[in-house]
Amino acid sequence: MSMDHSTPLDSPALPKAAGTVVYFDGTSSRRHLVALAFKDRLEFDEAAGPTIAWSYDDIRRADGPSGVLRLRSVTAPALARLEIRDASAASELISRCARLDEQAPGRHGVGAIIGWSLAAAVSIVAVILFGVPLAADRLTPLVPQAFERRVGEVAEKQIKAMVGGETCGDAWGQAAFAKLVNGVRQAAGLDMSIRTAVLISPIPNAFALPGGTVYLFSGLLAKAENPDEIAGVLAHEFGHLKHRDGMRNLIYNGGTSFLIGLLFGDITGSGALIFVSRTLVNSSYSREAEQNADSFAIDVIHRLGRSPKGLGELLFRVTGKDVDKSLSILSSHPLTEDRLARMQAEDRLASGPPLLTDPEWIALKTGCARRGW
Amino acid sequence: MNQMSSVPLYPPPLPPVASSFSGDRGEFRRLVTHGALLELITVGFYRFWLATDIRRHLWSHTALDGDALEYTGRGKELLMGFLFALAILVPIYLAYFLVGLEAERLKAFASVPLFVFFYVFGQFAIYRARRYRLTRSVWRGVRFWMEGSGWAYAGRAALWAVLMPLTLGLILPWREVALERYKMRHSHYGDLQGRFEGTGWDLFKRGWWLWLLGIASVAAPAAIVWLAAVFAPARLALARLATMGNPILILAFLVGGPILYAVFKAVEWRWWLSGIRFGDIRFESTLSRGALIGLYWKVIGWLLLISAVFGGYVYLCMLLVARASQTPMEKLLVSGGLQGNVLFLVLMGIGYLTFILLFNVVMRVYLMRDVWVRLVDSTRVHGFEAVANVSVRGDLASAVGEGLADGLDVVGF
Repeated sequence: MSMDHSTPLDSPALPKAAGTVVYFDGTSSRRHLVALAFKDRLEFDEAAGPTIAWSYDDIRRADGPSGVLRLRSVTAPALARLEIRDASAASELISRCARLDEQAPGRHGVGAIIGWSLAAAVSIVAVILFGVPLAADRLTPLVPQAFERRVGEVAEKQIKAMVGGETCGDAWGQAAFAKLVNGVRQAAGLDMSIRTAVLISPIPNAFALPGGTVYLFSGLLAKAENPDEIAGVLAHEFGHLKHRDGMRNLIYNGGTSFLIGLLFGDITGSGALIFVSRTLVNSSYSREAEQNADSFAIDVIHRLGRSPKGLGELLFRVTGKDVDKSLSILSSHPLTEDRLARMQAEDRLASGPPLLTDPEWIALKTGCARRGW
Repeated sequence: MNQMSSVPLYPPPLPPVASSFSGDRGEFRRLVTHGALLELITVGFYRFWLATDIRRHLWSHTALDGDALEYTGRGKELLMGFLFALAILVPIYLAYFLVGLEAERLKAFASVPLFVFFYVFGQFAIYRARRYRLTRSVWRGVRFWMEGSGWAYAGRAALWAVLMPLTLGLILPWREVALERYKMRHSHYGDLQGRFEGTGWDLFKRGWWLWLLGIASVAAPAAIVWLAAVFAPARLALARLATMGNPILILAFLVGGPILYAVFKAVEWRWWLSGIRFGDIRFESTLSRGALIGLYWKVIGWLLLISAVFGGYVYLCMLLVARASQTPMEKLLVSGGLQGNVLFLVLMGIGYLTFILLFNVVMRVYLMRDVWVRLVDSTRVHGFEAVANVSVRGDLASAVGEGLADGLDVVGF
């Protein structure tokens, strides 16, 4: 089996103490103490056992403690291991095994991992920036109205659970509100299916829920100085309904939250990172929706022959005086100054009748705006 | 033909052997620092390879009876497992969303109990992840392996979890016993079957006072608040004493909390290690109660230090921004003054990333490596005669369990 009979087995390259080489056959936990022989293949055997031979080209390094050269062979049983503790035998073997460190554990091509990770990150970011908005735009019209209403009902329940759920019950105030809503609704080209109400809460805010519900918080009513301002707010919220922004946002937020979570994975402490990037991405998307709703509102108010300037002024009054932006939904909106400037630029002389008579406006303000706090 | 070894095949039955750890601490520190850096560069994707490298280091430097373990798992397997898990989790999350929507429609926040499902699923993932790690663990050319059903385990874990709040956590030892027995009964080393011989009573005896202190630390402040409220109108000395007592208690809680936790972990580890059996092989741990206290305090110390440095960095950044934008500090500090300042956001981003990088390194060095070393060094193994000839059995498990655990953000052992 060996052609090199002249090589004595106790050549200087060989370990003197055979006990320093341990062989595990990969089929049992038996500890074989073997002697190595460097022939055209690596041969080793133990007392009374058959000789085993590994080709040098098949030998690969396995994980081992420091000071131990642990080897496996690609053609031997997967878990067969040869452990060499003797340094000179180890270096002799290393010099003969040309492919020792191929597929070595730990040499997993860090460059490739970085490259692929960056590619994956770029693709995820691209999907977040371009794919998800597109998907939200395309999917929103496909969502059945009935489903959207369900989503809206859920949001409504949660909002009512948080702010109390008391609506304005004053008959005169309600009548005036209904008149104002009706006027704006017709100009906005929306049908009767939308629902509106004044919710009693000191927070100056208003919002549109998926499925066609608009809530005006009485806190906003309290800050308003004329019917045009509230009409502007209603027109803005109707704009959201018309564009189905609630549903679109839901799809968009769900998609981006998932993808950003995927991107940063579970690096300990990355929660803040995920939160910040999600807020940044989502609020830029929402700002765009707000701008569109503003355009819609300007259009509707013009159609009513009134000036959109009031909406801008009301917004400025709210954010200007209340520095605490965190309480208001407005933080995801464009800068109030810019909105005010835009509405002022669209200011025209009133060509239509006032939307509410003075007594109606007073009824709305006194009936719905000064309650509950 | 060849010269044979003259060393006897196997020494006669051995006295109990200690397990030992030979890894270099500096090497591990470099490994996790390098890994944390790569984790940031690869936006987290490197975690699969880092987890693998950490295990490879810990396994290969841990020797039982002079022979080191070997971890044969690979980062690529974990990545694949994670991708498979995603394919499973995405539809589940969607279904969760739809079911939650229906529940919320009936009553606000009615969907909260659905987290129960994720708890059970998380336990399933823990079991399967353990199975993956075990089947990648090799000693003397023989693999550990595991069978049993992840769902059966998850069901047991969930039922015992229900009892936990009902008994104020007193049931914990018996819960752990039940779960460990299930896990160990289905764990094998080659043809040796594992089992767990620790008892709930044993852990209870060692740890009841910790439980009592834990309960007291919650109950005492509540009682003091109650006393203060009851006696305040009467302005009794007791009421004043009670309100004065609270800050002291809070301080005691802050100092005592980490110590109690470290003692609890040490007691639990020792009990757990001492209960492990594989055939006739018996593990025994001599870990002392206080063995881990220092480690937890070092982590806290490092955390405070890193936080202080981070705080200083934030202050420097504000100074820099104030100088760059020519606005006085007071104006910047007004709410919203720094919002939207790109320079500040970028500086904060860099600082925050460095902060979590350092934090991860500290956690891994102290709470992973150092705890591991203390556990290994405290462990002795009896009955090694039985391992002289164990045959290979069992199949490799897939890494999907690890991927699920990753996706669900659960960890388990």
